[in-house]
This record gives sequence, C-alpha cells and structure tokens, in this order.
Amino acid sequence: MVEDKRIVIENLTTRYPGTEQPQLRQINAEVHTGQVVGIIGNSHSGKSTLCRVLAGVIPKIVSAEIEGDWHMLGRRVSDGWRAYNAMTGVVLQNPAGQLSGLADTVADEIAFDLINQGMAEGLIQKRVVEVATQMGLIEQLNLRPESLSGGQIQRLAIATAIAANPAVLIMDDPTSEMDPLGRRQFFQWLAQVKETNVFIVTSEIDDLCEVGDVVWVLNEGQMVAQGRPGEVFNHLAADWQIPAPTIQQLAQKMDWHLADGRYPVNDAELKEARYVHN
Amino acid sequence: MMTDQTLISGAPRVKLKWYQVIDPITKLLLILDMTLLSFASTNLLLQAGLILVATLLLLFSKLSSTTFKALGFSLFLIGTMLIIQGLFYSRNQTVLFSVLGVSFYKEGLIYATTLGCRVLVIILTSGFFMVTTSISENAAYLELSGLSYKTVYVLMSVCYILPEMMRNMRKIQQAQKVRGTNPQKTLIQKLKSVLPVLIPLVIKTLDQSMARSISLQLRGFDNPNRTVRTSQRVYRLSRTLHIGLTGLAILLIGWKIWSKINGL
Amino acid sequence: MKTEPIHRTSMWKFKLSAATMTLIPAAVGINYVAKALAEGLKLPVWLGSLGTFLASMLAGPVAGAISGFINNVIYGLTLSPISTVYAITSIGIGIAVGILHANGWFSSARRVFISAIIIAIVSAVISTPLNVIFWGGQTGIAWGDSLFAVMVANHAPVWLASFTDEFVLDILDKVCVAYLAFFIYRQLPQRMVHFFRDDK
Repeated sequence: MVEDKRIVIENLTTRYPGTEQPQLRQINAEVHTGQVVGIIGNSHSGKSTLCRVLAGVIPKIVSAEIEGDWHMLGRRVSDGWRAYNAMTGVVLQNPAGQLSGLADTVADEIAFDLINQGMAEGLIQKRVVEVATQMGLIEQLNLRPESLSGGQIQRLAIATAIAANPAVLIMDDPTSEMDPLGRRQFFQWLAQVKETNVFIVTSEIDDLCEVGDVVWVLNEGQMVAQGRPGEVFNHLAADWQIPAPTIQQLAQKMDWHLADGRYPVNDAELKEARYVHN
Repeated sequence: MMTDQTLISGAPRVKLKWYQVIDPITKLLLILDMTLLSFASTNLLLQAGLILVATLLLLFSKLSSTTFKALGFSLFLIGTMLIIQGLFYSRNQTVLFSVLGVSFYKEGLIYATTLGCRVLVIILTSGFFMVTTSISENAAYLELSGLSYKTVYVLMSVCYILPEMMRNMRKIQQAQKVRGTNPQKTLIQKLKSVLPVLIPLVIKTLDQSMARSISLQLRGFDNPNRTVRTSQRVYRLSRTLHIGLTGLAILLIGWKIWSKINGL
Repeated sequence: MKTEPIHRTSMWKFKLSAATMTLIPAAVGINYVAKALAEGLKLPVWLGSLGTFLASMLAGPVAGAISGFINNVIYGLTLSPISTVYAITSIGIGIAVGILHANGWFSSARRVFISAIIIAIVSAVISTPLNVIFWGGQTGIAWGDSLFAVMVANHAPVWLASFTDEFVLDILDKVCVAYLAFFIYRQLPQRMVHFFRDDK
C-alpha cells in the first residue's frame, strides 16, 4: 500500500459552542510532503482555529462542532490520538503558556516531551543539546525559563516543538516577540528545514515569500486564495487587508515584471525580473 | 538551592550536606512529631526544650529570610495574645504584676505563653523543612512514591506559579504608577486602585492556565511511557526513620486521647 | 447571558483532569496575589478567597475546595504555619460556592449578596473553633480583635466573642470577594467557561 504523503482538508467547517457563526467555513486544501505553508489573514479570520484543528486540539482537547474531514499523512485524529499527536510539533500563540511551568532549567523544559515518550536518558541529553544549538539557546541551558527574554522564550517554545522530530510542524505566530535579528535567524533556520511539513501563521509577508512553498489566505473563516506566493500576492483583493510584499511593491513602482507579466515577490524572482527587464 | 549539574556533565558530582541525605517524608514526620509533642503537654520547660532543638536544627542548616518573616509575623501576634489573655482570660485569678494600674494575671499569661510556644515550634520546624528541600526534589520524590504526575503537577506548580504571578502583579502595578496615582485614603479610593490591577491579572492567569493545559496535553504529559528520572540522591535510613517517627506520632496521639479521657 | 442548568449529581463528579490540573494552581496564585494586594493597601478585608470562588464557579465545588486547601498549605509554608489548619475553612468555602453557583445563586447581583452571607456564615462557623484553639479566640485583624477584647472584658463567653469577631470580618470580606468573582466570571469568554466545565 502506498503511504499517503499528503495533508488534505475537505469541506471543513468549525463552530465553537456558544457562538452563532462558524469560525471556519468550507475549507478545502491539499498539501504535499515537505512543503512550507504560510497562513495569512487579518484578525478573526480563523487562522488560529485552523492551527488548532490541524494540531488536533480541536476536537480532542477543546470541544467544537466540526463538519467535514481532514487527514495528515493518511492519519486522522479519530484513528488514534497518540499516533496523530506524535506526528505533530505545535507552537501556539502566547509562548509563556506553552511552557510546562514545572521545569527548573531550560534543558529540563526541552527534555519534557522526550521524557514523556520514554526516551533513554543518554539520548535525551544528546537531543537537547542538538535542539538548543539549532535555536541558539546553548548558553541558556542551565538557566531558569523565567529568566529568559520574550524572544528567547519563543525560541524555547519552538525548541520543545521540534525536540521529538515531528513530521509536521504547526506554528501560530512564532516570531511575535522576537527582535528583527531573531526573526531573521528564525526564517533562515526555517529555510533549511527538510522533509517536514510546516504550517506557519505569520504576518512577516516578506520572509514568507522567501521561504514558503504555498500560501493560504483566510478571510472571515473562508479560504479565499491558495497557491504559490508569486500567484497569490499578484492577485490580492483589497478587502482581504493584506499588504503586498516589499519586493513586489518596489517592482510595481519600477515596473519590473517577470516574463509572464507577474510582479516578483522574492529575491530570486526580483533578479529574474531585472534580467527580463534588461 | 542546589541544582543538578548532571545535565551536561552526565554524572552527579556534588558533595552532600547532612540535611540533604534525609528524605522529605522523614522531615515532614519530624515536624509532625515535634508539633504533637508540643500540643500534648503543657509543661513550659518541655516547650522551651523543643524550641531549642528546632532552632538548633535551623542554625545548623540554613537561615532564610522567609523564616524570619514568619517569625516576625507570629511574634507580633503572640505579643498581642499575651496582652489580651493576660488581661482578660476567663480563669484569671492571681495577679502577676501591674502596669499603670492595669493588672496582668498569671493564668492568662501562662496560657498565652503555651500557645505561643506551640506556634514557634511549628514555625521553626517547618522553616527547617522549607529551607533544606528544593521543589524539584520534592516533585521527583513524590512521583517516585507513586503519585500520579497530575497530582504532583498540581502540588508543585503552585511553587512556580506564585513567584510568576507576583512578578506579573508588579509589572502591572508599575504600569499603573507611570500613569500617576494620588495617595488613597478612603476605602472606595483604595478599591478603585486595586481593581485595575487585580482584574486583568486574574483574567490573564486564567487564560494562561487554559493555554498551559492544552499545551501539556499536546506534549503528552499523560503518556503511559513516561518514566521518572531516577533521583540523583541517596537517602539514608529512610525506612527506619519512617517507621520510627510514625510510631512516635501514634504514641503521642494515643497519650493525648488517653489523658483527655482520664480528665487530666 | 444564557446559562444552562447544571445537574445536581454532576457537580460532585470530580476527576483530576488536564483542565483542573492547571486551574487549581492558577486559583491558588490568584488567592495569594489578591491577599497580597489587600495587605499592601491595608484594606480591612482579606480577599484571599477570590481564586477559590472562581475555581468553584468554573469547575465545581471539589475544585474550589482543593484550591482553598492547597492555598492554606502555601500560607503555612510561607507566612505562618498555623494557617494550614484554616484549610478546613477554605474547603468549606469552596464547597459552599460550588453548590450555590451550580444552583444558580450567582446569576444576579441580588442573589450574589445572599450567597455571600451564606458563605460568610459557613466560614465563621468553621473558623471560630480554630481561632479559639490556636489563638485564644482572636483573629489577628486589629478592629476585629478590639471588638473581641471589648466583649470579653464585659464577661461575654469566649465562643460568642470570637464568633462575632470572625463573623463581622467575614461578612465584609465575602461580600467583596463574591461581587468581584461575579464580575470577573461574566467577563470570561465562553470558550474558557466551556473548557473548564466540560472537561471532567
């Protein structure tokens, strides 16, 4: 049997108890293995709810009415929560709420997920150091989590999500408290992540265009656009209230467009457009 | 507070002090026994002896500001007790001394002193416990003894959440001060200054507890594969001390009940 | 705000779930901070049961009782070990709030006042014997104790003087806390209320 390597969402509608309007309406999407998906939209568009559904938080932890179906790499939440959860690494909004609240040191915090899975002690220590290096937290390993700055706490939250090497990473605004340098380092790290599906909610449009394979645009709970960044950003509707990438705005001013008439949205395309222009 | 250096170096390498080889349960039983002893008797000399023992325990381990604060708070209250009971205790008969025409009676003063000694014994012995055990040590010990992780979490996370909340409270208070507040005199004014700090803090805390719960479940805290990291400490004489001290506690309780029945 | 009826038996069904496991420490923290704020501003009330109230309203009487119990243990460890015994009072308050809330006695401003009085009575009844045993009848709050001293000087029985001391303080305190809890509860998003209530 061929292993299903896609992530598929079919006609997903979600409504929280006690609310009149559904938060998500008729979402349809399909993603292939290893792709980085950026989820954008203005506030209340349902981005966080979509993350929760993908992570399995809805319906397993937080109750809500769901219609429609979704599965990741062939698995559904209903097939087995443990297996589904093991596939995903999740970073939700509010990084302080992500931490266990019971760790003496940063290293203990990162090790938490691994201890829960019953990993051997020696392996845990190695993995903690690996992950801390990736997130630039090596110096902070013996510090208390409370003593970290906002940006460091976010990096710690991301570290805990990637510790168990998940096949799917779901991140809801993971750079909100980082300074510009931290953000740049994060997206550089994201660019070299391989063989992992990444769903990232972010408002860093420019970085998304450099790193993302697919962009989903949500507006009022509906998926109003999906596709490659180049296509999506060239066809933005005004009422979505999404700014165009800086490079695209620059190119529009200078009237540098690509061979097929589109405006470039990232570095590579910009260079190509310059070439075409000449 | 001692932290494990084991995470990077991989091997325990700390020299243990005398109070670190006694396990937490033994220490708690010690508190219980001394308290029971204090309550079981009205002999002031015995009380003084107990207080001396407890103070020595503290002096030989660590002194901390929390213990001093607790002592200060209670000493003040004991002082007011001495005054009120010395003056108004119902069984007052013999006058001990008089100040400015007001008489202090012996029975009331003795009663207040006994109560005060009991309070001191409890404070000093608990101080010893607090100062010689760390939170994570207690957490690991509890989990090893078989308590579910959820129970351990509830008990231990409180120790972490309190400093966190006090920090949040100070942050909000500072933000309020920047906006400029006039000194509050009346009750209504004071309430008005408390509410803008308290209410957002409460809502934020509840919000965070919901986020934490979701996160803990996502991170698999209830995974049956979870194994507790084995304690790095070696405890001496655990079983003997447990049995001995529990036996003593039962003896003391029994003695008190027996003497009550015999109308002593 | 539409409230659904809560069945009588279900409020006692308590399992330490993932939601209550984080709610209880939060409630303890809220208790502690409320009390610290009240003391810092030298208010004549304790306010130290706010978290217990909220825990009971969100997750039932057992959750509130546990929060109150742990709260007193913490006071005992950080302030004065005698406070630990008053855990019994906190447990009583938690249970009382839970039962009252489940039966709709926190749904309107007027009902909250009556609930506050009932809770004050519960608290005073449980605390008085403890006050007598440990502190000779005093409560440690200045104006309550002066009332106590006056009554004892006039040969009133210790129990009565102590109860009056405690009850007067409790009425003021519980009315403030009840209204605070009532107000805050209404501000909480529906998602949160459902999260703590359904997760049993």
